[in-house]
Amino acid sequence: MNDLYLIVEIAGQRAALPAAFVESVVEIEEIAPVPCAPGHVFGLFALRSRVLTVIDTIAALGGDRSEPGEKQAVIVHVDGHLYGLLVDDVDDVIAIEGSPSQPRALLSAGWARYSRGVLEHEGQPLLLIDVAAMIAGPTDLAA
Amino acid sequence: MDDLLGDFVAETRETLEALSGEIVAWELAPDDRSRLDAIFRFVHTVKGSCGFLDLPRLEKLSHAAEDVLADCRGDRRRPDAALVSAVLGVIDRIAELTDAIETGAIIPAADDAILIAALQPQETAPADGPAEAAAAASAEDDILAGALAAIAEIGAIAIPDQDEADEPDDAGSEAASEPDIEIEPVAAVPAPAQVTVSAASKPASPAAAAPAPRAVARTIRLPVDLLDRMMAGVSDMVLARNELARRLRESGAESGTEVAFERLSHCIAEMRDSITRTRMARVENLFTALPRMVRDISAELGKQVQLEIDGGDVELDREMIEMIRDPLTHIVRNAIDHGIETPEARIAVNKPASGRLHVSARQVGNQILIEVIDDGKGIDADRLVAKAISVGILSQERAATLSWDRKLELIFEPGLSTAQAVTAISGRGVGMDVVRANVERIGGLVDIESRPGQGLRLTLRVPLTLTIIPALTISCGGQHFAIPRSAIDEIVRIGGDAVRMGELGGARIVFIRGTRLPVVSLGGVLGLGEQGEPTNLVVLKLSGGARYALAVEAVHDHEELVVKPAAPVVMACGIYGGTTLPDNSRPMLLLDVAGVAEKAGVGREEKAEAMAEDGPEDLQEAGAVPVLLFRDLDGIERGIPLALVERIEDCFSGSISNSAGRPRLNIDGRLVPLVSCGAPIIESKVRVLRMRDGPEELAYAIDSVIDIVPVTIELQRSLIPGPVAGVMLVEERPIEFLDAFWLFAQGLGSNTRPDKRPVCLLSDEDPWTRQVLAPLVEGAGYAVIFSEEESAAPADLVIMADGTDHPAELGAGAVLKLRQSMEERGGSADSLWRYDRLGLANELARHWNKRSA
Repeated sequence: MNDLYLIVEIAGQRAALPAAFVESVVEIEEIAPVPCAPGHVFGLFALRSRVLTVIDTIAALGGDRSEPGEKQAVIVHVDGHLYGLLVDDVDDVIAIEGSPSQPRALLSAGWARYSRGVLEHEGQPLLLIDVAAMIAGPTDLAA
Repeated sequence: MDDLLGDFVAETRETLEALSGEIVAWELAPDDRSRLDAIFRFVHTVKGSCGFLDLPRLEKLSHAAEDVLADCRGDRRRPDAALVSAVLGVIDRIAELTDAIETGAIIPAADDAILIAALQPQETAPADGPAEAAAAASAEDDILAGALAAIAEIGAIAIPDQDEADEPDDAGSEAASEPDIEIEPVAAVPAPAQVTVSAASKPASPAAAAPAPRAVARTIRLPVDLLDRMMAGVSDMVLARNELARRLRESGAESGTEVAFERLSHCIAEMRDSITRTRMARVENLFTALPRMVRDISAELGKQVQLEIDGGDVELDREMIEMIRDPLTHIVRNAIDHGIETPEARIAVNKPASGRLHVSARQVGNQILIEVIDDGKGIDADRLVAKAISVGILSQERAATLSWDRKLELIFEPGLSTAQAVTAISGRGVGMDVVRANVERIGGLVDIESRPGQGLRLTLRVPLTLTIIPALTISCGGQHFAIPRSAIDEIVRIGGDAVRMGELGGARIVFIRGTRLPVVSLGGVLGLGEQGEPTNLVVLKLSGGARYALAVEAVHDHEELVVKPAAPVVMACGIYGGTTLPDNSRPMLLLDVAGVAEKAGVGREEKAEAMAEDGPEDLQEAGAVPVLLFRDLDGIERGIPLALVERIEDCFSGSISNSAGRPRLNIDGRLVPLVSCGAPIIESKVRVLRMRDGPEELAYAIDSVIDIVPVTIELQRSLIPGPVAGVMLVEERPIEFLDAFWLFAQGLGSNTRPDKRPVCLLSDEDPWTRQVLAPLVEGAGYAVIFSEEESAAPADLVIMADGTDHPAELGAGAVLKLRQSMEERGGSADSLWRYDRLGLANELARHWNKRSA
C-alpha cells in the first residue's frame, strides 16, 4: 500500500490525515459560534458559498476551548458535510507505505480515541487520525 | 413518443453505458460471475420492459440472451468465446433498436434470427476458447485497464455530445455487418480500438449508406450533485455580487458602471431562478405509483375504490418529492384500509358500493397542497378521545375542554398509533405521528378534517423547495438567528398596549390581547445569558396549534434564505433546523421552533393543554370570537368573524374583470366572485379577504386591516338585507359587521343554473314582499314567482303572510308563513316573524337543500 497523507501538528503532536479526506487548507478568521453545541464544535465558517463546521481539535482531545482568532484549518469532507479541523501547523503531503500498526504505547484518552494506529515515516512515528471520530467528538464517550 | 417509452430508452441507454465496461471485462474473463450477473440483470430488465411496452423484437432478442445467460448462471453451460460474442452481438443490437425507437429508423429484422442462432451451442466453438481468453487477459491486462479508464472518462465527458457521437450509427447495412466482427474469436478482440467499438458508443463506425438523421434528444439526465454544484456556484455568484454592490456603493461609482452592474444582477437572478427550476419535477412522479397501489390494497382488503388523480403537472423540488413519497403512501394506504368501508357496509349506509379516493396537488403561493380525500367513514373524534383517555395520554377533565379539531389532532399522538389502537378506534393511527414528523421535517404541515360517516380530508402543505425558505432574522446575545416565517404567528413589542408580561409560579408568561402564552427566552435556551434586554416577542405556532412567545433582543429583517442541513454534530443539539449563508457571508443558524420549545421545557403536549385551557376557553366563556376589524373601501370600519376569512391577500386591480354580470378576481387561474361594499376600486393594488364555504370561494375587497380583537357579537341587526348584518360597539367605536350569508348569496347566487333553482311562490303582492322579501329569497338561490302562472312547475316553497287563507291546490310545496309581530302571540305556531332573518334564512336553506337532495 502506498497512500498519501497530510502531516499536521495538533496540540504539539505530529499526526497524519488520510489525504483522500482532505480538500484544502485555509485560514479561518471570523466564525459564528453554535450555542448549545458540544465543546469541540468551534463554530461555523463560510468558505465561499459553503458552510464549514469547524472542529476544535484541542477541545476534542480534552484540552481547553481554543480562543477565537485567526487559525489554520484543514478542510475535510465526511458524509457529505464539510468540516474544518483546527491545526497548529501543516507540514507536507507525503506518501507512506504500509498499513498503520499498533501504537505500543499508552496514549492519552483523547488520542486513543481519535487515532487509528501509528505510521512510520523517516523513522518518526505519526499518529493516524480517525477523522470521523474526531468530528463526532468526545460526546459519544458519555453516551 | 410517450413518456414510458422515453424513460425506457433513456434508462436502457444509461445502463448500456454503465455496462459497457462490464461487457468488455466479461469478454476477457467469461468465468467472472459478478459480470455475468450484471449482464444478466440488464437483459432481464430489458425483457421485462419490452413485454410491458409491446416491443416484440427487443423482447425476442433479450429473451434469447437471457435464456443462454441463465444456463451459464446455472452451470448448465460454460461461457465460451463464441457465446460471449453472440451475447455481445445481441446487446449491441438492443442498443441499435433502442436508438431506433427514438429516431424512428428501421433496422432489418431478418438478421435477428442469425444473432439468436449464434447464441446456441456450436460444435465448431474452439475448445480452448476460455483458456486462450484468460491468457490474453493477463497479457493485455495493463493496456486494457488503461483503455477502460479512458473509456470511462470519455463516457463521462461525452454526455453532452452524445447525439453527435451516436449520429453515424444504426445504418442498415452497417448493422448487418457488425455481428460478423463480433463473432470472431475473442483472442483477436482485445486491441484497444476494438474495445472502443464494443463500448456502446461506437464513434468509429463508418457512416454507411443512408444514415438516418437522428432526432435531437430534448432531455438529458444529470446527476443531482452536478445540479447541486451549479446551485452552489450560483450562490457564490450572488455573494460575489453582493460584495461588489457594497463596494460600488462605498466608492460612489459612476452611473455607467451601475447600469452594467444592474444588468449583471438581473442575469444572476434569472440564472438562479432557472437552476432552481432544474431541480423541479412534476408531482406526477409521485402519483404514478398510486393506481397500482390502490388496486392491490383494495383487492387485498376486498374493497372497491375509485381513484381520481388531479394536478399531476404541479412542479415540486425533486428531493421534496422523495420526502413526501412515504407519507403519501401511508395516507393512501390508511384511507383504503381504515377509511373506505367494504361494499356491503357502504350499501348499508346508502353510499355507492365503490369508495372514492381523490388525490390532488395544487400550488398556493409558495406552498404545494397535496390533498387526499376519501368518502369513507371518517374519524370519530370522540372515540379517539375515549381511547386517548384509556391509554392515559389525556385526562377526563382536559378532554372536556378540547374542541373537535383538537380532538382530531390526537390522531398524531404517538401513543395512539400502535396497531392495537388502530383496530380499536376508527383506525387512522398507523404511524400518523411519523407521517407528521416526516412532513414537518421538510417544513410542511399536515391538516386533518374529518366528517364522521362521510369521509376524511388530509392535506399536506409543503414548501415549494427544500432549499429556499422565507425567514425572519432575529438576534440574541450578539448573534443572528433565522426563524422560518411559516412558524411565526405574530411579532409584538414588549411594552406595547396589548402586551402584558407576568409571572405564574416562577414561569414567565405574557398576556397578548387577553390570551395567555408561555414565554421562552431565547438567550436562556441558548445559554447566552440575558446580555441585552429582550425587546420583542415572536409568537410562534407549533403544529397542533399550540403557541409560545419567544423573547428576543432584536428583530431584523425578512429574508429568503438558502437553507442547508447542518453537520450531524450541530443538528444533534436539537434546536437547529439547518445553516444558511445570508448576503453578509457570515453563517447563520436556522432555529427549529419545536426543538427550542422542547429544550425550554414546554413540550408540545403541555402547550397544547395550556392552549386549550387559556386561549379559546377564556374567549369562549364570554362567547367571544376573534373578529377581524378593517377599513372598507368606503372608509367605514367594519368587522367580520375571523373564522370566516381564509386569508388576506393583496392583488392587482388588473386581475379584476367584469364578467358574466359581476366583478370577478383572477386568483391562480381561477375566477373568484369579488364582492365589495360598492365603492369603486381606485388603487392599483387592492386588498381582499378571501372566504370559503365548502367548495365555494369569494373575495371581499377592503382598504386596510385594522386589528383582530375578541368580540362577543351582539349586533343591532340591520333591517335591509345587504353586505352589513348589523352594527355594534367594539372598543367604543361603532363597527358594522359584514353579513357573510348575504355575501355568499351575492357571490354565488348566480352560479346556480336558473333552471335548477327551486321555485318559491310569494303569494302576497305588496311592496314589502316584492322589494324586501324577494331579494332575500332570490339571494338564497330561489327563482321567485309572484303568481302560479309564472312557472310551469309547481312551486317548491310558498311564502305567505300569516293569517291569509290559501287555496289548497297550492299545497304542492311546503308553506312558510310570516307574521307581522315579533311575538308568537296571535300567529300560527309554525309561523315566523317576518324580520327574523336568521329563521327565514334557515327555512330557505332547509327547503333548498331538501329540493336539491
